[in-house]
Amino acid sequence: MKSTLVASVAAIAAATTAFAQDLPQAGNDWFTAGQERLQAELAKQPNTSKAKNVIILISDGNGVGTNYASRVWAGQQEGGFGDEYVQPHEAFPNLALVKTYNVNAQTPDSAGTGTAMMSGIKTKAGIIGVNENIVRGDCSTIEGNTVASMNEIMTEMGKETGIVSTARITHATPASAYAKSVDRNFEDSVPEGCTQQTDIATQLIDAMEAGIIDVAMGGGLRHFLPEGTEVAGVSGRRADGVNLVERAQGLGAQFATDQASFEAVDAAAGTPILGLFEGSHMMYEADRADEPSLAEMTGAAIAALQAKSGDNGFFLQVEAGRVDHANHAGNLARVVADQKAFADAVAMADEMTDDADTLIVVTADHEHAIAFNGYCGRGSDILGLCMGIDGAGVAHTGEPLLAKDGHAYTVAGYLNGAGSILREDMNWAGVRPAVDQEDATDLDYNQQALIPMSSETHSGEDVAVYAKGPWAHLFDGTIEQNVIFHVMHHAATAE
Amino acid sequence: MLKRRDFLKTAAAGTAAVSCPAVLRAADGPIKLRELYAKGGGFSELATEMEGKRLTVEGFMAPPLKADMKFFVLTKMPMAVCPFCETEAEWPANILAVYTKRVVDVIPFNVKIETRGVLELGGFTDPDTGFVSLVRLSDATYA
Repeated sequence: MKSTLVASVAAIAAATTAFAQDLPQAGNDWFTAGQERLQAELAKQPNTSKAKNVIILISDGNGVGTNYASRVWAGQQEGGFGDEYVQPHEAFPNLALVKTYNVNAQTPDSAGTGTAMMSGIKTKAGIIGVNENIVRGDCSTIEGNTVASMNEIMTEMGKETGIVSTARITHATPASAYAKSVDRNFEDSVPEGCTQQTDIATQLIDAMEAGIIDVAMGGGLRHFLPEGTEVAGVSGRRADGVNLVERAQGLGAQFATDQASFEAVDAAAGTPILGLFEGSHMMYEADRADEPSLAEMTGAAIAALQAKSGDNGFFLQVEAGRVDHANHAGNLARVVADQKAFADAVAMADEMTDDADTLIVVTADHEHAIAFNGYCGRGSDILGLCMGIDGAGVAHTGEPLLAKDGHAYTVAGYLNGAGSILREDMNWAGVRPAVDQEDATDLDYNQQALIPMSSETHSGEDVAVYAKGPWAHLFDGTIEQNVIFHVMHHAATAE
Repeated sequence: MLKRRDFLKTAAAGTAAVSCPAVLRAADGPIKLRELYAKGGGFSELATEMEGKRLTVEGFMAPPLKADMKFFVLTKMPMAVCPFCETEAEWPANILAVYTKRVVDVIPFNVKIETRGVLELGGFTDPDTGFVSLVRLSDATYA
């Protein structure tokens, strides 16, 4: 069967080449590139081996629109127009579109989406590791409604697992790897009378003690320290007086709080690793100092998991948690810088593993209310003004296009958020402020928005999932978000 | 209007002997709030050189903590709070406490302002609000 298939592909390829040679555009670079891509697609072979390792990298808030901005920015940083740039995950052979809604929310949140990816079921917004029977915030509803995470399942299969995030390690996406909570906000405490579950930070150290989480690196140190205790300049917030860092160290964990202690971690030691580099979230990539990058943490996690797991393999969840926060702030400059750090982490994971035995999945949990104006010429700065199209050339004209109000406008904008042009002191009327290229490309600039809100919102728009390695070809078409779990699980268990 | 980049060119042409060109800028046009802080924490060279001097900083007025105060917090971007992400409002790392000459007439959080006052460095706890600041403008005006 396989040889027949190969012969058929060869015949089609030969026919296509002959067709191409007859056309006047056959020598055009775009035509040639299109033909090359066609040949690559024809040569694709599915990998049906069992996946020894599975890595899922989630950029929080990196929907198709945010990913577009990130692609163009990364390309422009290298001196190109931007559009032609290929981010590491965009070179992966398989892709699907993902429907991200939660059971009770057209616009999803990261707790519901994280649970979908980690446990294979859609659930409500704001809850973690539990099904839709939960009433958010009501601990009495948790009994009988918890679900198993991929980390727990992989541990049962003899694999080592880890989590890495630039957000607090108790935040929704990483928590979906180890926690069961009726509310994502129970990061260091539960309400009085809630006896059916513990707080999320405690659940992480419980999971470390149980051998479910072997590597955990991110922010959120304050949730692991008792009130009145200060470590690395961070004051604890735990009202129960428990020092979870000391508890982890009692389990033999190596503990890091800054770049130096991160670099001192011995990946081959075989001990758990706990890295907590900020009291709250880690710094944005654009502001980062004295703490590791997402790629560095990803590399260290893979090295430690590889050393410990040997032939059994590992499962790792990596989250770029602050892409989401910069979008919430309406600050595209920090979005794209963190997104480039995410792309570097994807490249790191790819370099350190073998496509033959490692499934790499790259996706987002949800999109934001970001949108793009037109009609901009090639090379318009993705952070800056929409420049005119040059009919006589390729690069933009250098002249910003003007709207009906006589002002220039940026390529990107937000539908809502703190960058709103409407003003409370004008009875929520507004006049669009003039904007020039210097202001628009400033690191702290808020792209203009319409609806006034203190924080820009998520949106229910699709995200993409990119994959390579064993069974990556099962990512195809438009899928529900919980299907991601099922493909990862199939890849790790296929015979 | 003299743009910052134009002023920089002017400053660069005539002030090669000055160790911190940003100080020259601060004495004239507005600086950005982030320029008061060093990357990774602490004060910038500009901040230490301008301590005790009057300068203009651009940013956004955070919604006031109390009514009828002669105090507000300047943020580098409009204060954005994500109800899904955070259990409580958290101040960003880089802020500027502004003590004003007159009772504050509130400006919406999403409208850029410039405030001018005397730069003070070092920890200070506001007696009325308990707000702790590390860097402040005193005797300030804004628009």
